[in-house]
Amino acid sequence: MITIDNVTMKFDLGIEGTNYLKENLINLLKGKKKKAEYFYALKNVTFKVETGEVVGIIGRNGAGKSTLLKIVSGVMKPTKGKVSVDGAISPMIELGAGFDMELTARENIYLNGAVLGYSKSFIEDKFEEIVEFSELREFLDVPVKNFSSGMIAKLAFSIATIVNPEILIVDEILSVGDIKFQEKSKNKMLEMIKGGTTVLFVSHSMEQIEDLCTKVVWLEHGEIVKMGDTKKICKEFIKTMMEEN
Amino acid sequence: MIKGIVANFKKYSFLMGQMISRDFKVKYKRSVLGIVWSLLYPVLMMMVMAFVFSNMFKTRVQGVNYLVYLMTGLVMFNYFSEATNTAMTSVISNYSLIKKVYLPKYIFPLTKCLFVGINFLLTLVPLIVIILITGDASEGTKCYINIYYLLIPYAFICMLLFTIGMSMILSCIAVFFRDILYIYGIITTIWTYFTPIFYDISILPEKLRVIFPLNPLYQFITFVRTIILESKLPSISNFIMCGVYGVMFFLIGACIFRAKQDKFIYYL
Repeated sequence: MITIDNVTMKFDLGIEGTNYLKENLINLLKGKKKKAEYFYALKNVTFKVETGEVVGIIGRNGAGKSTLLKIVSGVMKPTKGKVSVDGAISPMIELGAGFDMELTARENIYLNGAVLGYSKSFIEDKFEEIVEFSELREFLDVPVKNFSSGMIAKLAFSIATIVNPEILIVDEILSVGDIKFQEKSKNKMLEMIKGGTTVLFVSHSMEQIEDLCTKVVWLEHGEIVKMGDTKKICKEFIKTMMEEN
Repeated sequence: MIKGIVANFKKYSFLMGQMISRDFKVKYKRSVLGIVWSLLYPVLMMMVMAFVFSNMFKTRVQGVNYLVYLMTGLVMFNYFSEATNTAMTSVISNYSLIKKVYLPKYIFPLTKCLFVGINFLLTLVPLIVIILITGDASEGTKCYINIYYLLIPYAFICMLLFTIGMSMILSCIAVFFRDILYIYGIITTIWTYFTPIFYDISILPEKLRVIFPLNPLYQFITFVRTIILESKLPSISNFIMCGVYGVMFFLIGACIFRAKQDKFIYYL
């Protein structure tokens, strides 16, 4: 279960660049005060994801969807409000975090697995399965820097999706690699989402949202516009977007 | 709270092990001699230093084996300087990881300190060999392996705690104030000269001498040198100061790091 309680995320736009002593000195001499510029990525967002629910988050670019996922997965702490998560999270936000290009595929399976919070025995158990899925058996002892980007994506995908997570966080259904692997990876993710786990799902594909979600949250400028029945909200969302064009 | 910290540490110990072994693999991957460099490098460096100081500058330290004197100081100071310098950039250089997945951030400086620590333990091998070879070189400067060696790990642990503390402070500062990368380079150089590595403090003027005990590294090195060179028990005050500096800096570092770690992500 995920509880998001009155979460506000405020970014200080002044951070970039004002670190410099020179700039601060000049501003001081000119008598200029540092202007506080803030951007609210999320404003008082509150909702719950019950166990077994698949909740979709929709909204245009910059609405705060990814920020929300990052807060839920613990990468960022909200400025205000609270997020509590009951269960082990598998964030499928960006793949291949912590890959070391100098190391071989075999070594990276262990390293990346550890980064994702897998235990040693779990990786050893699932090693064969990961290798099988990635279709990279012949290249197991080749440093990853010699891989093509498609091969790296395939390896990363195979490591990330080996778990049966209690809570799954998905930022777009990923389909990586060649046509065959794209189909395979898409199916694997759909399988994970449908597998009865709790899912928080961001997508721009209304088709996928309607197909998979039991509930939808519509975000706009960091605020919840509407939330509830999937079909109804998707329809309204599409209508609003079309009218703007 | 302590229970929570231990559980957290346990949970991430596999990851830390993986990161340390990654550092090892990457460090030696492309070199022909590989891990042998860990042993060879300090020996060669020491030979250069020994030649410069004992033959060119004719430096001597009264009543002790100068080669062993020099090497003990060098090996310990190098650990501190290498560990803090690599740990300082550890948070910045792992920005992509920090932005993507949740990990306790202390593991970055900590794994660097431990990785350099393992290298440090390897450099003790040539040190012991030198002690065995040159131990009874001349009358009056004998050094040999004695019972007090059992106390040496104490000084190493204190030095490790001190180094971890400093690393946490530095890696934290580096996130908000990149200039520290250059400033610390200069600080390390000053620190090298204010630590009696190749000289003994008895050659310094009285006024200057009193500030040396304030240098934690002086305390750790003196502790080890008393045992290795004089085969004596270190003084009580030396014993206490090692512990105080180790624990104090560790706690200060941990507090600063803890207070600031949630802000890292906005500055990376």
